[in-house]
Amino acid sequence: MFGLPDEFTPGFLARLEKLRIRTRQRYGGLGRGMHLSPKRGSSLEFNDFRHYSPGDDFRYIDWGLYGRSDKLYIKLFHEEEDLLTYIFVDASASMAYPAGDRKFESAILTALALAYVALASGDRVMLRVLGGSGGKVNPSFVNGRHRIVELARRLHNLKPGGQFDFATSLATELLAIRRAGKVFIVSDFLMLLNSVTRGLGMFTAASMDLTAVQILGGRELNGQGLDGDVEVVDSESGERLRVSIGEGERTQYRETMLRLTREIKSFCLKRGLHYALYTTDQNFQNFFVRAVSDLGLAH
Amino acid sequence: MGFLYPGALVFFALIPALVLAYLAKERPARVTVSSVLAFRALRGFRRERFGGWPRLDWMFFAEVFILSLAVLAMAGPFIWKKTAPLAVVIDNSAAMQALTPAGKSRFEVAREKLDAALSAEDGGSEISVYVTAPQPRRVAPPFNTLTEARIALSRIKPTDAPNDQTTLENFLGNLASEARVAKVIFAGAKALAAPVPARIHPIEVGDAVANAAIGSFSLRREALGAEALHASLSIANFSPDTRTLELVVTGDGKQIAHAREAIGARETATLEFPAIPPARIYEAKLAPDDALALDNVAYATAGSVKNVSILFVSPTPADAAGLNSIPGVEVTARTPDAYSPGDLGTFDLAIFEFAAPKEIPGVNTMLVMPPPGDPVFGLTVTPTAKVQIAGWRTTDTLTDSVNFRLLSLRGGEYFGTHPWMSQVVGGDGGAIVLKGERGAHRFVATGFNPFPYLGRRNLPMSVLTLNAISYLAGLGASSNGYRTGQPWLVPAGVERVILPSGSAVAADPGTLFTAVSEQGVYELVGPGGAKTPRAVNLADLTESDLSSSAPLKVEAANSGSAAAPLMEKSSLGDYILAVIIALTALEALIVYRRRRIAEAAAP
Repeated sequence: MFGLPDEFTPGFLARLEKLRIRTRQRYGGLGRGMHLSPKRGSSLEFNDFRHYSPGDDFRYIDWGLYGRSDKLYIKLFHEEEDLLTYIFVDASASMAYPAGDRKFESAILTALALAYVALASGDRVMLRVLGGSGGKVNPSFVNGRHRIVELARRLHNLKPGGQFDFATSLATELLAIRRAGKVFIVSDFLMLLNSVTRGLGMFTAASMDLTAVQILGGRELNGQGLDGDVEVVDSESGERLRVSIGEGERTQYRETMLRLTREIKSFCLKRGLHYALYTTDQNFQNFFVRAVSDLGLAH
Repeated sequence: MGFLYPGALVFFALIPALVLAYLAKERPARVTVSSVLAFRALRGFRRERFGGWPRLDWMFFAEVFILSLAVLAMAGPFIWKKTAPLAVVIDNSAAMQALTPAGKSRFEVAREKLDAALSAEDGGSEISVYVTAPQPRRVAPPFNTLTEARIALSRIKPTDAPNDQTTLENFLGNLASEARVAKVIFAGAKALAAPVPARIHPIEVGDAVANAAIGSFSLRREALGAEALHASLSIANFSPDTRTLELVVTGDGKQIAHAREAIGARETATLEFPAIPPARIYEAKLAPDDALALDNVAYATAGSVKNVSILFVSPTPADAAGLNSIPGVEVTARTPDAYSPGDLGTFDLAIFEFAAPKEIPGVNTMLVMPPPGDPVFGLTVTPTAKVQIAGWRTTDTLTDSVNFRLLSLRGGEYFGTHPWMSQVVGGDGGAIVLKGERGAHRFVATGFNPFPYLGRRNLPMSVLTLNAISYLAGLGASSNGYRTGQPWLVPAGVERVILPSGSAVAADPGTLFTAVSEQGVYELVGPGGAKTPRAVNLADLTESDLSSSAPLKVEAANSGSAAAPLMEKSSLGDYILAVIIALTALEALIVYRRRRIAEAAAP
């Protein structure tokens, strides 16, 4: 619809519009919005008192406090600003495998859905792509829900490919974005756990509110399509392993995959990060609606 | 070691090709995955491969080994082995039933001595066991162990049939000459005349025993239509003293004749009973009992009572009326125009009078005055106004009891020399009666027409006609009866034969019946269960002479050379085949167990 993927039906968009991004900290924005900002402003959320100075709007004098202390105090309020939302999409080569699982397409769907939630809430969205080829996504903030079409068009031309070091790449990105806000990282996270934790840890150190969305293929998780003697080739590093896969080995492979996801989830929860796992054999709309809390969203 | 088919070793060249194909098949598939992170945990399960690629576990080598063995087996490997094949011949003729003074039969003594002789053999070579009667034959394929040979010997029983002396001599001679036989052990009642071939080791069990025997028991009808029969028996005394022998003849169980006769040492006498009443089965018994009970009894039957169905094809079908007057004969008359070869299926025999079939008939056939120029039988026919008999075969079944001097013939025809029919009765201008066999069927051709003269008006003609019909119907016309060990032609219409022992044997008319080793009365069973008795007797005074039998003269090609061990090819194919089967079964078992274990481990 209007250049959006087929999954973005009117019904699904309506459900997305009822959601908003939830943050555990207050972040300054670039304009007025619906999120409380650390700045003082004119919202209804009380912030602090200060002594009255001539010229202050006497409508904000706390007359009750004056009656108790015989001194004039002015009530200060929080400012409400928009939320700077950063969405990182992993477009490395691993997102293209297994081919039938459509991992990268699912990552794009997730990023667009998150972006639409933010845009519909009046927040600003910056889409950043890690790796990939086939097109350049302009890393700038966009606002207004109509800009979702533009984001979809940019992502449409993107092809997964290449290899990057997760931690190093995120450090570079962190330097580039400068302003704190909400960060979504959509990736398969099929890399060394150390690299994942270092990368995610940098964002938490920079006071970013982060949600990790792990995208795994249904066949990939269960080891389907692999049987007997197989030489497996790493899509990014080119590393080769020769394995014999039977029922027993397939079970062990699946347990290993689930352990890797549990370790990432455990790290996120310990650091106060949000974590959601989407396997491509699930219905995307159902996943997104049910995983609202895990994604760091709220109704 | 050698190979029978060394060319088959070429197939060894296929094995490397098969191995390469196997390795190519076993090459693992290459699959690109998002990350090998989770696969690293599986490295412990990885099977190491020779050269990094193929899986070479023990099963692979086992299969290559099985394949190699199969190629080897195709080449027919053998090894040379020293062997001394042994032939054991035991005389199982009627004379071996004679009891020795010790109370055992000659056959039992022979078997015990053979058993002792086999104990002295070292074994290891194959042993063939032969019997001598009714014809020399091997009882089973060669045995590999002495135990098997002993078991086979213990199962052999003596027959009621005599030995054929000439056949037995030739058989032993051939056996002793055969290169594959190193030693022949012959155990029998008869001694071997010197020089005995070096390879033959005789065991003689024929101690002289006094014996009396019935030599023959024959019946004949003195006149056509007469009810009483004339019985004739020959008895012999094979003892050094004169003995008084008593003979009792019973008919269907009732005593009908009795005679007592003193017979000198080694003399033979004939007892005649000119008018014995009709009975189905006659039994003659000689007393007193002696060493060989078999020849103290003889049987005879009154002859065929079976109806013979005849298809009579003639332009003058009325001539068949004379045949219809013969008891037990059913005649169906037909003109040549109405005849077709398919009609013969329901008849025992056919008679063509003044006619000839257009093809050789499928039943025994009599041709009466066939027309000249017949292309089927090719008889050369010379018509004559007066047929004059000049001579006849005196021992032929057709001429038996025919008084040719009283036989007067009028017009007829003479036959020229025939390719496959021989003359039985001849005249001045050629043959008058011909007979022959073609395609397992009997044929008789007469140059005169006997049918108008049947009955008492011309007795010799009637006897001649009856002889011809009996010959064509396969019925017993032999006055000497049937002897044990001598096969006879199954008469028309007989479906099975019940042996004296009571067991039934299927029979095919027109073929030789060979289950004739027992003395007694055989029942020939025809359609509807009609039984015709047939007496079969030992009737061999040479066999009954237990005191002085002629020695066997055995001549062998290498009579002077002693037994020498032979070099024999011993095939290894069976062993290789057994190994292949065992390995294949073992592999299948292991594969099955592995699969079961994998299924049990699966979630």
